[in-house]
Amino acid sequence: MSNWERLVWNQQGVLLQGLGVTVEVCLIAFAVAITGGLTLCLIRTYFPPLRFAAIVLIEFFRATPIFVQLVWIAYVWPELFGWPNSFFTAGWLALGLQSSGYLAETFRAGIEGVARGHREAGYSVGMSPLLVFQRIVMPQAVLTVSPSIVNQFTVIVKSSTLISVITVQDLMFQAMKLVNVWYEPIEILTVTAGIYIVMVFLVSTAGKMLADLLRRRYGLAAA
Amino acid sequence: MDVMPAIRVVDLRKNFGALEVLKGVSFDVHTGSVVSMIGASGSGKSTLLRCINFLETPSSGDIFIDGEPMGFRSDASGQRRLRPLSEVNLMRRELGMVFQQFNLWPHMTVLGNVIEAPIRVRGMSRKQAVALGEECLARVHLSEKAREYPARLSGGQQQRVAIARALAIQPKAMLFDEPTSSLDPELTDEVLSVMRELAGDGTTMIVVTHEMAFAREVSDRVLFLHNGLIEEEGPPEQVLGAPKSERCRQFLSKYLH
Ligand SMILES: Nc1ncnc2c1ncn2[C@@H]1O[C@H](COP(=O)(O)OP(=O)(O)O)[C@@H](O)[C@H]1O
Ligand SMILES: [Mg+2]
Repeated sequence: MSNWERLVWNQQGVLLQGLGVTVEVCLIAFAVAITGGLTLCLIRTYFPPLRFAAIVLIEFFRATPIFVQLVWIAYVWPELFGWPNSFFTAGWLALGLQSSGYLAETFRAGIEGVARGHREAGYSVGMSPLLVFQRIVMPQAVLTVSPSIVNQFTVIVKSSTLISVITVQDLMFQAMKLVNVWYEPIEILTVTAGIYIVMVFLVSTAGKMLADLLRRRYGLAAA
Repeated sequence: MDVMPAIRVVDLRKNFGALEVLKGVSFDVHTGSVVSMIGASGSGKSTLLRCINFLETPSSGDIFIDGEPMGFRSDASGQRRLRPLSEVNLMRRELGMVFQQFNLWPHMTVLGNVIEAPIRVRGMSRKQAVALGEECLARVHLSEKAREYPARLSGGQQQRVAIARALAIQPKAMLFDEPTSSLDPELTDEVLSVMRELAGDGTTMIVVTHEMAFAREVSDRVLFLHNGLIEEEGPPEQVLGAPKSERCRQFLSKYLH
């Protein structure tokens, strides 16, 4: 029986379970990042009374190392706010919030990149600012920043390996557990690295294909 | 009694900070007539057009579209007040604007660009809007491009779509801001000929242009703008043929070789 069979193949149930948790955490974190990023960006751009608060949050999420944020949300927030009540929640929350800071700036660049003339053309046919935003600004902004959004998703996948530190049982956690049982890290960690590479590759390839498909549909050059 | 002009501009002034761009401009555009506006770059032509449909808010002065004050309105005590944006929006659709840079929305098809306002602003059904949109595209001779995206069209075609988009809001008048200035010379004719047809159909138009032959041919009146003031105005034969003002003469000498 080879080491590969003993350490990896026979442990596939545990690894797959961890992979499931990783995928779940990343998807939730991505949704949080998109929603949070868009909200922060909209407040920053269009709602002056809370602009300063939004900027502070954005900069805070971006400037804090993910490890510090993770531990801080997992151990300090429950004391301060009584929430999150599980490490799983703390995991996706920290990952999502950090990326929301980056995505807020990405969205802002996308919105500011829409030519003023395109907005004015909307106003000139009688569209309201809300309509112009929904129908003209947002679709174009999403089109231009879609590669950055995909990239941020890969950052989430990679950063997610840290949530094992707060005992969330993701792929990394299960891999390390196996290593600590057998004291034979070579095969387990190599395979684990391989799985992460494949995941990141799939996300970025699918994302790029989708973005290019959209752009080609509109007759624009590939990003 | 005087007929109400389609567009009346009264003592319009606009400054950007300390820079006074329009210094009191007044003129009428009668229904069905074409007014061309000429003048050197920086003389305030674009600002004037943009003030008329409130893409810029005038510093003072009045604009009437078919007698209805645009942008401002007097309240009970006679005080001039800015109209709420919702009313300005409503009135903007009485004016079709065509920009130098076309400004088509790249993520919508040609037909999508044209029917956007009829559906979202006028509240037409999709079916009605498509019928109207196809009619407008036929007027600019681009029916066969309805399903294309703007990026696949030539500049001249894009500008004609922009004209169709403006026509689709069924405006009382059309405003053209140098519609051929960003086109290659061989593409200007197709746009000018569409505009010629519109003028022939009795469309009320203000055209900012450097195409003097075109202005002479289609205009009922020509305005020469200089430093934010109308320096000379009159029928095209006079303003373009025998200008009284020295500045207008100098300006024209650059265009009539
Ligand atoms: N939004 C703006 N802010 C400041 N200055 C402006 C703005 N728009 C136009 N101007 C200035 O107003 C003057 C007239 O511009 P414009 O109306 O575009 O002239 P034209 O269309 O005749 O070339 C120029 O000096 C220009 O720099
Ligand atoms: Mg101009």
